[in-house]
Amino acid sequence: MRKLDSSNFLRCCCFLMVLLGRSAYGYAQMALTSNNRIHAKSYGYTAPQVVENKVLLKDALDNLKKQFNVQIAYQEGLLDNKFVPANLTSNISQLTLDDNLKQLLSAFQLTYRKINDNQISIFTVKDLTSTNAAVAAVTLTGKVVDAGDGQPVVGASVYLKIDNKVGAITDITGSFKLIVPDKYSGRALTLVIAYIGYNQEEVVVSDPASALQIKLAQNNKALNEVVVTALGISKQKKSLGYSVTEVKGTEFTQARENNVANALTGKVAGVNAAGLSTGPGGSSRVVIRGNGGLAGDNQPLYVVNGMPIDNSVPGGAATVNGITNNVDRGDGIAAINPDDIESISVLKGGTAAALYGSRAANGVILITTKKGRIQKGVGVEFNSTATYDNVAVFPDYQYEYGQGDGGVKPTTLAAAQASGRRSWGAKIDGSTDYVAVDGNTHPYVAQKNNLKNFYQTGSTYTNSLAFLGGNEAFTYRFSAADLNSKGILPGTTYDRKTFNLALNGKLSDKLSIEALAQYNVETGHNRTGAGDALGNPNWTPLEVANTVDVRWLKPGYDALGNEQIWNDASIASNGYFVINKYKEDDVKNRFIGQGSVIYSPIKDLTFKATISRDFFNYNYSNILPTGTLYIPNGQYAGIKSDVSETNELATVSYKTKIIRDLSVNVLGGVNSRKNTTNQLTFSGSQFTIPYFYSFTNLAVSSTTPYNAKVVTNSVFGSADFDYKSLVFLSFTGRKDWFSTLSPKSNSIFYPSIGGSFILSDAVKLPEFFNLAKLRGSWAQVGGGAPDPYVINLTYSNVPSAGQPLQNVTSNNITNSNLKPYTSTTFEGGFELQMLKNRLGLDVTLYDRKTTNDIVNTAISSTSGYNNVILNVGEVSNRGIEVLLNGTPVKTSSFTWTASYNVAYNDNKVVKLAPGLNTIQLATSVGNWGILDNIEGKPFGMLVGTRMQKDAQGNVVFNATTGLPVQTPLQQLGKSVAPLTMGLTNEFRYKRFSLNFLIDGKFGNKVFSVMEVYATRLGLMKSTLPGRENGLVLNGVDQTGAPYTRTVPVSGLRSYYDNYKTYSDLFLHDGSFVKLRQVILSYALPTNLLNKVKIQSASISFVARNLWTIYKQTDNFDPEQSFTNSNAQGFESIGLPRTRSLGVNLAVKF
Amino acid sequence: MKRHLTKYIYCSLVMLGIIATQSCTKNFDTLNVNPDASSKAVPQYIFTKAQYDGTARMLDLLLGTMQYTTSFNDVAGFGSKYVLSQSPQSAAAFTNAYPNEINELGEVLKAVGTDASQVNLQAEARIWKVYCFSRLTDLYGDIPYSQAAQGYNQAIYKPAYDAQKDIYADLLKELDQAAQSLDAAKTTFGSADLIYGGNTVKWKKFAYSLMLRCAMRMTKVDIAQAQTWATKAIAGGVILDDADVAKVAYVGAGQDINKNPLALDLYNNDYIAGNGSTNTEGGKYQDVFINYLKANKDPRLAVVSVVWNGGAADTTSAIQKGMSAGLNAKPADFVTYSEPNPKTILLLNSPRLVFTAAESYFLLSEAAARGWYTAATAESLYQNGIAASMRQWSIIAGSAGTITTVQINSYINAHPFNTGGTLDQKMEQIYTQFWVGVFPDAQEVFASYRRTGHPALVPNNYVGNATGGKIFRRMQYPVSEQNLNAASYAAAIARQGSDDFLTRIWWDKQ
Repeated sequence: MRKLDSSNFLRCCCFLMVLLGRSAYGYAQMALTSNNRIHAKSYGYTAPQVVENKVLLKDALDNLKKQFNVQIAYQEGLLDNKFVPANLTSNISQLTLDDNLKQLLSAFQLTYRKINDNQISIFTVKDLTSTNAAVAAVTLTGKVVDAGDGQPVVGASVYLKIDNKVGAITDITGSFKLIVPDKYSGRALTLVIAYIGYNQEEVVVSDPASALQIKLAQNNKALNEVVVTALGISKQKKSLGYSVTEVKGTEFTQARENNVANALTGKVAGVNAAGLSTGPGGSSRVVIRGNGGLAGDNQPLYVVNGMPIDNSVPGGAATVNGITNNVDRGDGIAAINPDDIESISVLKGGTAAALYGSRAANGVILITTKKGRIQKGVGVEFNSTATYDNVAVFPDYQYEYGQGDGGVKPTTLAAAQASGRRSWGAKIDGSTDYVAVDGNTHPYVAQKNNLKNFYQTGSTYTNSLAFLGGNEAFTYRFSAADLNSKGILPGTTYDRKTFNLALNGKLSDKLSIEALAQYNVETGHNRTGAGDALGNPNWTPLEVANTVDVRWLKPGYDALGNEQIWNDASIASNGYFVINKYKEDDVKNRFIGQGSVIYSPIKDLTFKATISRDFFNYNYSNILPTGTLYIPNGQYAGIKSDVSETNELATVSYKTKIIRDLSVNVLGGVNSRKNTTNQLTFSGSQFTIPYFYSFTNLAVSSTTPYNAKVVTNSVFGSADFDYKSLVFLSFTGRKDWFSTLSPKSNSIFYPSIGGSFILSDAVKLPEFFNLAKLRGSWAQVGGGAPDPYVINLTYSNVPSAGQPLQNVTSNNITNSNLKPYTSTTFEGGFELQMLKNRLGLDVTLYDRKTTNDIVNTAISSTSGYNNVILNVGEVSNRGIEVLLNGTPVKTSSFTWTASYNVAYNDNKVVKLAPGLNTIQLATSVGNWGILDNIEGKPFGMLVGTRMQKDAQGNVVFNATTGLPVQTPLQQLGKSVAPLTMGLTNEFRYKRFSLNFLIDGKFGNKVFSVMEVYATRLGLMKSTLPGRENGLVLNGVDQTGAPYTRTVPVSGLRSYYDNYKTYSDLFLHDGSFVKLRQVILSYALPTNLLNKVKIQSASISFVARNLWTIYKQTDNFDPEQSFTNSNAQGFESIGLPRTRSLGVNLAVKF
Repeated sequence: MKRHLTKYIYCSLVMLGIIATQSCTKNFDTLNVNPDASSKAVPQYIFTKAQYDGTARMLDLLLGTMQYTTSFNDVAGFGSKYVLSQSPQSAAAFTNAYPNEINELGEVLKAVGTDASQVNLQAEARIWKVYCFSRLTDLYGDIPYSQAAQGYNQAIYKPAYDAQKDIYADLLKELDQAAQSLDAAKTTFGSADLIYGGNTVKWKKFAYSLMLRCAMRMTKVDIAQAQTWATKAIAGGVILDDADVAKVAYVGAGQDINKNPLALDLYNNDYIAGNGSTNTEGGKYQDVFINYLKANKDPRLAVVSVVWNGGAADTTSAIQKGMSAGLNAKPADFVTYSEPNPKTILLLNSPRLVFTAAESYFLLSEAAARGWYTAATAESLYQNGIAASMRQWSIIAGSAGTITTVQINSYINAHPFNTGGTLDQKMEQIYTQFWVGVFPDAQEVFASYRRTGHPALVPNNYVGNATGGKIFRRMQYPVSEQNLNAASYAAAIARQGSDDFLTRIWWDKQ
């Protein structure tokens, strides 16, 4: 096989571009000569067009409505694509209503009838002709109403089956009058009643003299619903062999989250999304249908308008056990402005994502951004939101015994400083000889408001403004948005400016172009750290002694700017010093550009070529200042990173009928993906000139470059068959070549097949069912190693001020035999619409297996390395997803819709490598809790120790140490919730709507580092026994003999501190139910708005994370994760979770 | 139109066909090469790194265990308080040694190859490997040895633990072979060898000194082997002159790796503020050590110890005071306690002594007392040991560490050797001097303490301790071994005894 290098590959793509370019020229010529033609099918939009000096007939009639205060009814679509000269609308006030109407309608085959003084109906002339022509014949009358709510159906067509030229349109009351020509008199008549969105009805006229009562049933919206699928291709939902969930953009804009991915929480069955406890600008963690890989990031691929974007966290995710400089620097999806989102489609993996290839193994989140639209004038959309955050979760600590040691409270400054973080003191009695760390005497009373006093009200103001419009040849949308956020941690700010431009041009009937550009600047300042104590501002308010008002520690620094002592372990930073003197700054400049050329030389044959580039430049610095008690001369950490993701994609698709009733749509394409990272990390310590924070001012410093280039080249194809819109079959195939793998085995081909069957159209089902669809699919997706340089051993220089030093480049064993992994998904399901579409049920079962996963796993350091990259094992995810939605109440003024989704995912590590039955994912601070993947167990098993108990449940003591015996490592519980659900209710009453979302996750465990410290420091209620007279221990010794001893009050601190060696004491059920979101909206009356030229406006009161209805963790929020890596299941002293309240204003001009 | 259609379909099929049948991978070979790394190992540079790393591998906590230092803080004071909750600290040397010096030395030997012209490079790497492994096994007992650091070369991710007895046999064999293979006529590591600059004669002395050390370790468990190997080592020639002391020199500035690791640890972890008051981990000298130096009018007291007095480091002997290891909170008089002298112990550019003449003399003195060595008396060797141990402070700290001959002699005269005493009485004298003489190499003292029982330190029965108030007999394996190397770990425990601080390792068996 001859090999083609990537430049040839590009040349191939260029060839296509040139081909398209030439044609573009040719057709542009043609377009010039034919600019008077009206293109009925303008590029997918059915909206009318604007021609210079002309206005839409519809708009002109709207003017009349206002001027004469009448209502005008017409059949939907009747006025589309009709323009009138603009000057006709300038003098409407000088003419009568009738003259105006005649003038406007005369150019078209339209006329009108006055139903009464203020109601007018517009018809096509032939309707009128037929009615007029029928002199004194039979006149049929009747009324058409909605079968569901009994409301009149306005504008429905009613015509004779034998002669569809004889017809009428229903008026504003749903009534019609149809005059049957003489020639049909005496004949049996059947009326056909049709209206968009309703099933067509036929009614046999039995008594022409009596008025007919006709009920139209709404047809199945879902049946014709179109969703965006892989590569941005829109498909009819009914044709899909897999489950896709689409969420509309409006769901993200009212009660907004800074990171749009967090807003998916609870909305989509099988999507486990969670925000992190890291403040504004933080990352998200989204896992679709469970963790598929043993050690990859397991997050979905984010695709914007068909092209992937980068979602990496610069410099990597924060860790569970990090110390200083351990901040969440924010992920890629955080850059997307919710106001720019038209819709989000969640492709849950397998067939849905097969065309995206390797990185789609964990599912795809497809974001379609808003485009311009053809309209008169410039449309303006303005959206403004203000939200306010406050701490929502407070630890349930003991407030019986206060600051001090050995049962004694401090009465001197030295003693106060020595025990600043310890609550092993005397009984809290309000006594007045208590000296605190500020040197002052205070009453010895409990201080329960330290979190409220330490944190502030956070705020986020978002304003976005969009301009949009366009004509038949060209549409545009430009938006600018500013998000300004202040964290609950004083000093934390995050600012995001987003500019988004979408241009679509239709150069001719056959050629169109599309260009999208987004530019953002994200600026973060003093993002919080977490993990261990040093430099973690959250440590102080959470662990300070319980009789200390945290504000006594203010300002945290002395006259020289050095950290003030508040306890005897200087590693536990003064939180105020961190707030005031630590400096974290980051700026990300990001540009996402995309250009496409679409060429359809003939009907149903389309070539499309797209190039997209997501580029960001990132600068980060984190300064641990001079005067820090633990590191007096300071430290510096910096990252400068340039990351780009470039995708070139060319496709050709052709749609044709093979035989009658069987059509096929074939697609072929090529894709080249190039991801480049050029990064410098700066680290150093000891500022030579104190308090001067520059990389140039460090006694010890080093700069480490990292340059990586990853290329994946692919070819793919698909064929979609459609038989009578009854049976759909879809086949895809893709082959990828990965630059990161060994040349021996760097490619993989993987196919997929999917089908759906519309049962309700094939056989007659009871009327109860409106739609019944069965679907099934099988798909494979292959993948390569995410990072380069993992196949060959290399050596790197180690920074040295003396002799040159060298070592192996990485502690990670490289593997020259790496081959692609495979993820295989079976999926089956059905969809039912029942009770006149008032009730819908969608059920999916899936089974997803990842084999030969590429895993970077921790190994025994005695191997000489800490990690190895291997093709190992098998991970299985099996689950069920159920979506139930319904409209329990629907009247003209009040509707109640509800949607409930529930998913259960059984995530299991089936097999690891021979001789390897455990791989380690993460460890907590102090190794008190470990996260493992263990063969035969659920993904992400929390591992740790317990207090040893005998068969009778007695604690076993070590007679030598007098302490409970620690068991060897045991499996304590899974870190990932298998059961997730969400319930959305929406009530609409006239102009009001109330929407609330309740969601829950069940069945996982969380290990709390905060509680380990709070136990050691005497804050936990569990440390109360023994405070007065010592703790009597009863149990057995290791021989089984009874054992008893009393721990004196002075020994309690040490005794309870030792509890940290029993991991399960700090492990809790992480299940919860939360009232996640409440939106109360009011749409302002349009007639009021019209006077100020506003099309629509609404105001909403919004709340996020309002109420935790159920949880099992007394001292922290179960969603208290700090990292978006696989290291879930740890509470790590991050920022407390907040509830937010706000108001949103949306206006369209 | 029909014709056009055919043409377009044909065109696109051809185009797709070209791409589909020809893989797009030609540049992948070069793309996947890290521009910041070399595919070639330079054994010299890796050897230098291994010397730095091997020297840096120590457990500072043993300074507390051997009662030189302590802290009021449970975490930092673990070595002197044996608090159970801090026991994972003891695994640090195990965790870090293998991915660093052990693996590096494997890479050096791989890169040097078996060419006879490279024999000195091979020998020196082997000797240094013995040094590194012996330090590890002395802390933990059975450890991965024969299968260690073969993760890349042999894909061994779960190395078996070798019995310490077998490890010792191999260490001694390695020293013997390496020492004999050294050849002054052949190429050396030269300046990449931080210890001797490639001097093969000195490397040979270092090898035999290590052999003597290893031999004496076995006195409790296998006296015959101990004598055999000690005799062999002595015959080979051990380090006796100050000029031959094995030491790693440091730049003292620039990167941390170029700084004396013990000085850097103590400085960064505790004494950086330089005020005696805000010590970051609450560290001070322990009363046991300072009291002993004071009681014996030891001239080293002024060299190693200061009290911060009015903002200045004061070496006046009278005000030196050690802190009790029994404290659990910062005492109000914290500033008044002694701590390491910034001009000696904390000197970042001071050399770290790896094997001293003093150690050789004390070991030889024991050998003489046992009757294995007759070229000199136990007494003279003991005196030489004291003198060498006092002189070595000037090697470490220059003028700030200089102890005069008059001071040395006066100290020796005040501490006469009990020539008529029992072996145990002699051992008590020798290894008490060893305790003050080899300071700050607490790890070596920890070994000799376990073997000889001297000096008879009084254990600290701190509340909540992990040992029932007894001094450690070994360090614990990392918990990660239970997780990542479970079967090998279990086999080691089954052979050696539970993974506890009081389990005795092979050469420490009663």
